[in-house]
Amino acid sequence: MTYFSLWLFPIIASLLSFSLRNKSLNRFLVLTHSLLHLGFGLALLVPQTGFAAWFGADSYAQIFFLVTAILYAAAAFYPLTGHNALSPKQSSIYTICLMAFVASMDSANLSQNLGLIWVFVETTTLASAMLISFEHHKQSLEAAWKYLFICSIGIALAFVGILLLLVAQDSHPSLLLSQVTSGIGSISPFWLKLSFVFMLIGFGTKAGFAPMHFWLPDAHSEAPAQISALLSGALLNTALLPLIRMKGLMTAAGEGTLASQLFLGLGILSVFIAAVFIIKITNYKRMLAYSSIENMGIILIAFALGKAAETAGLIHVMGHSLAKATLFLTAGNLYKIFGEKDYSKCSSLLSRHPASAWLWILGFVFIIGLPPSPLFISEFYIAIGLLSSANYLVLGFWIVLLAVIAYGLGKAVLNITMGGKENRVKLPLMSYLPGYLLLLTAITVPVIVLKLLSN
Amino acid sequence: MADVLLILFGVSLLFASITNMLRGLVRILVWQGLILFVLTILKTNEFNLWEFIFVAVETIIFKAVLIPWFISDTIKKNKTKREVEPSVSNFFSLGSMALIFAFSFFIALWSDKGPANLYPMHFGIAFAAILKGLFIIIANKKLITHLMGYLIMENGIFLLSLAIASEVPAVVSLGVSLDILLSILIAALFINRISNTFEEAHSDELSTLKD
Repeated sequence: MTYFSLWLFPIIASLLSFSLRNKSLNRFLVLTHSLLHLGFGLALLVPQTGFAAWFGADSYAQIFFLVTAILYAAAAFYPLTGHNALSPKQSSIYTICLMAFVASMDSANLSQNLGLIWVFVETTTLASAMLISFEHHKQSLEAAWKYLFICSIGIALAFVGILLLLVAQDSHPSLLLSQVTSGIGSISPFWLKLSFVFMLIGFGTKAGFAPMHFWLPDAHSEAPAQISALLSGALLNTALLPLIRMKGLMTAAGEGTLASQLFLGLGILSVFIAAVFIIKITNYKRMLAYSSIENMGIILIAFALGKAAETAGLIHVMGHSLAKATLFLTAGNLYKIFGEKDYSKCSSLLSRHPASAWLWILGFVFIIGLPPSPLFISEFYIAIGLLSSANYLVLGFWIVLLAVIAYGLGKAVLNITMGGKENRVKLPLMSYLPGYLLLLTAITVPVIVLKLLSN
Repeated sequence: MADVLLILFGVSLLFASITNMLRGLVRILVWQGLILFVLTILKTNEFNLWEFIFVAVETIIFKAVLIPWFISDTIKKNKTKREVEPSVSNFFSLGSMALIFAFSFFIALWSDKGPANLYPMHFGIAFAAILKGLFIIIANKKLITHLMGYLIMENGIFLLSLAIASEVPAVVSLGVSLDILLSILIAALFINRISNTFEEAHSDELSTLKD
C-alpha cells in the first residue's frame, strides 16, 4: 500500500498544475515532490520486513531508487532554461510529464513482476518523449521522434521476450520473479534462452547498449540539461535492472554462461563504439552521451563477471549516475555561457565562470575514474574480475579503450576551460551548487549504501 | 476455422510485401484487425468475461477501425505521396518474406520441445508477423510506413499472446492497451508536427543530428 503513495503526490500535483496553470506553483510542486521523493528513497534503506508480492525493495531496488531520488532532487533545484519565456500551459505540461517520468521510473525499479516492469518502462518512454521535444525546435523534434520510435520497437521486442518467458514455464506460468525462481527447475532452457535474448535486445535498446544506441546521443544532446541528467543517470539504470534480474534467472536455470557471454560481448562493443565516436565528435553534450554508452557497457561487463564483480557493478551504477548528472547539469551552464555546443568554439571557462569550470574539470576526473571517484574502485575490481576469469584479451582491449576515451574527453575539457582572460559571467547559485553536492554524494553514497546493505 | 484465419493472416503478410500503395498497407491493417477480432471470439472460453469484452472491443475498435482510419486521415492531410516507395524491390521483399516464414516455422517446430502446448502454425505466423514488421521498418523511408510496420509487428505480438491466452495474466491486455496509446501518440503528436516542421515526413529528412 505504501507504494501507491509514489503515484499519489504526482497525481494530485498534476491535477493542481493542470487546473491552475501557475508557473510558481508548478516550480513549488516539483521541488516538494523531489524532496518528499528523496525522503522516501532514504526510508527505503531501512531494512524491509514484509515483502509485498508485486512491489518490493530488494537491494537492487533500494540502490536504483536512491540514485534516482538524488538526481531528481538535483534536477529539480537546477534552474530550467528559458523558464520565463514559457507559457503557463507549457510549464504545466513540463511539470506533469516530469513527475510522471520519475514516478514510472520508481515503479519500474520497485516492481517484482516482469510484466509490470515492462509496463512502467514503456510509460517512461511516453513521459520522457514529451520532455525531450520540450524546446520544440527542429532538432529536438527529430531527437524525440527517434527516441520514441526506436525505444518503442525495443520495448515491443522486450514484450516478445516476456511472452516467451511465459511459454518457457511449465504449469501455472507467472511473471512474478519469486514464482519464476521457485519453478526454475522445470523451465524449458530453449525458450528461456530465446526469451533472454529478446529482452536483452529490447531493454538493451532503452539502456543504450551498442549497436541499439542510435537514439541516445540525439535525445541526450537535445533535451534540456536536467532532463539529460535524469535520462542518463536514472532512465538507463531503470532499463538495465530487468536485465540484471533476468541474468539472475538465467544463472538459476544453469544457463549463466550464455548470459555472461552475451553481457560481455555487448558491454565491450558499447565501450568500443563510444571510444570511436568520442575522439571524433566536437559536440560536448553528445560526447557526454557517448560516455554514458561507455559506462553502461562497463556496468554490463561487471555483471557478466558474476558474483565477484557484482558489487563493483553496483558501485559503478551509483558513481556513473551521480558524476554524469553533474556533467550534464554543467553542460547546461556551458550552453548558457557560450550559446554553443561545439567545444572547439568554446574556451576560457576558468576566467568566465570559475565555479562551472571547476565543476567541469572535477566531473571529468570523476567520470574517467581517477581517485577519489567511486569509478576508480569499480573499474579496479572489474579489472581483477577480468583477470581472475582469464579474459586477458578483453582486459587489454578494455584498458586501451578507456585510455582513448580519457584522451577524447580530456581534450574537450582542456579546450573549454583553458584560454585567455575574458569577462566574468554571472549565473544563479542553483546552477552550480547541485553539481558540487552531487560530486560529494558520489564519494560518500556508494560507501554508506553498501555498508548499510551488507548488514 | 482458426486455421483458415491464420493462413489468411499469413497471406496478408505476403500481400504487404508486394503492395505499392500506402492505401494497400492500410487495408492490410484493417484485415488483420478483423482476423484478430474473430480469433479472439473463437477463444472466448479461455478468457473471463471482462477480459474478453476488453480485448474484443479493443481489437475491433482500435485495430480494425480507429488506427487505420487515423492513418489514412494523416496521409490525406499531409498530402503524402500515395506510393510506398520502399528502398528494396518487391521481388526482394517477397523473397525475404519467404525466408522469414521459413525461419519462423523452423523456430515453431521447436515449440513442441517446450512444456507449454503451443500450436506451431499459430506461433510461426505470429513470429513471422513480428519479423515482417521489423523488415518493413528497415526497408522503408517514409515515417508513415514505419508506423504501419510497427503496427504489423504489434499485431504479430497480439497474435503471439493469443497463442498462450489460456495462461495469460491480465498484464498482457494492459500491455496491449498501452501500445495503442503509444501508436496514437506517435501518430497524433509527432507525424503531424514533423510534417509541419520538415518538408516531408521522410527519414532522410531527419538527418540534422548525426556524428
